[in-house]
Amino acid sequence: MYLTRFRINTARSGARRLLGSPHAMHGAVNMAFPNPSARDGQGPRVLWRVDPQAAGRTDLLIVSPGRPDLTHLVEQAGWPGLEQPGWTTFAYKEFLDRLAIGDTWGFRLTANPVHDIHKPGDPEGARTKRTAHVTPRHQIGWLLKRQEQAGFEIVCTPPERQLTQRGHEHQVIVHNRMPLQFRKRDAAGSSRHNVRFTRVTFDGRLRITDADAFRRTLTHGLGKAKAYGCGLMTLAPARAS
Amino acid sequence: MTVMLLRLAGPLQSWGSTARFARRSTENAPTKSGVLGLLAAAEGRPRDADLSDLAALRFGVRIDQPGSRLRDFHTAHHADSDKAMPLSERFYLADAVFIAGVEGDRALLQRLYQALRAPRFLPYLGRRSCPPSLPIDMGPPFEDALEDALRTAKWQASRWYRRQLERAADMRTSTGPVDLDVLIDCPPGEAPHLSLRDAPVSFDPRHRQYTLRGVLTDHSAPPPPARRGVPAPHDPTSVLRPLDSPNSTTTAENSPRTS
Repeated sequence: MYLTRFRINTARSGARRLLGSPHAMHGAVNMAFPNPSARDGQGPRVLWRVDPQAAGRTDLLIVSPGRPDLTHLVEQAGWPGLEQPGWTTFAYKEFLDRLAIGDTWGFRLTANPVHDIHKPGDPEGARTKRTAHVTPRHQIGWLLKRQEQAGFEIVCTPPERQLTQRGHEHQVIVHNRMPLQFRKRDAAGSSRHNVRFTRVTFDGRLRITDADAFRRTLTHGLGKAKAYGCGLMTLAPARAS
Repeated sequence: MTVMLLRLAGPLQSWGSTARFARRSTENAPTKSGVLGLLAAAEGRPRDADLSDLAALRFGVRIDQPGSRLRDFHTAHHADSDKAMPLSERFYLADAVFIAGVEGDRALLQRLYQALRAPRFLPYLGRRSCPPSLPIDMGPPFEDALEDALRTAKWQASRWYRRQLERAADMRTSTGPVDLDVLIDCPPGEAPHLSLRDAPVSFDPRHRQYTLRGVLTDHSAPPPPARRGVPAPHDPTSVLRPLDSPNSTTTAENSPRTS
């Protein structure tokens, strides 16, 4: 597994086209792999995320089973004039192998929290409809529901440090809520489709409870819309509280 | 000599030395008359009591967090007659934190410390409407010189103010570390840097009296750095090993040969 960081030059029109449409970015990321892995849902897959950093920097993070070549992205949306290749690939596998039960990490996860519901007024026996979680409370609830199976638990806030009576039990925040809407052409290239989904970013601290399941979460992604920049969780050293 | 330190922190403070009539100004730092008045009130001395023992104490103050100025256009009506009181302009320091120190006779300071722990009249920061937000007590009197005690005391600034300074240092809008200003009574025989009329002679409401007080200004050593090595907000690559760039071998071949 590899983790790759690509720095986007947001002043270029190619960069704006990619940042404006997850569909275009999905295509560009896929084109970075000469031998795409099988899409049978079994093995690890390519996950990506656009990460706004401090001071106006925007990074594209890619976690992939194979090593990417982002030359075409550098030409469209990077700094091709510089000598260094414009992206950095890191050895992710050796990091994953070191993860152990009980480790505490700061995490960031961009995800698409949804649930399937019957709408009020639907006839009996109608199919459920996938619907976005809208409020931060429900979005965090979505993550908490998945944490056990995903091999981690979000660190709890001790009662004396909770800022509010309810809703601050766990050390996680939701920010950067982004309702996305874009058009994509289907394979025939004739009809147009509207794609709409909600993307949110979770930031918080977690503790690993099941290292194997957690590795799977990091390499297979969490939740829906993985092609559109959701589901990639990254770890960074947790800041001492 | 023996020194006692006081922490003066509150949402509002007001320390006037030249305030007259309807314009009630404030200095940038606590005044000697204000702090001695606080101590005298804690002891329960009446307004017309003798102050000579307190006035003989040497006084100094360190500005840990300068705060900001606040102007209040003050209107009031008399509680009984409902007549309009004179309109006045009152100035305050908002969100300031100071350390004040008094140096002098050990027995007297011990007595004042006991009084601060169980004050007869409530202490306030220059004006009755300005209660302290943190305990004034910073421990019992100890043997030290006033200058050294003020210099080595722990930085008392609030957390948000420290963070603001750190952020300013990150943005490189501030130059160098912060110094804390120290204002100390000028020893006799030296030329003072500035003088204020705030050495109290009498707090008698019928005839308040103050004499001039010379002040030396100085900077204390910068406070210790609050937090070192603040981690980047979220950098997942900080714990990973970068792989060699695939082009590195070719660029080495293409580079011009110097030998």
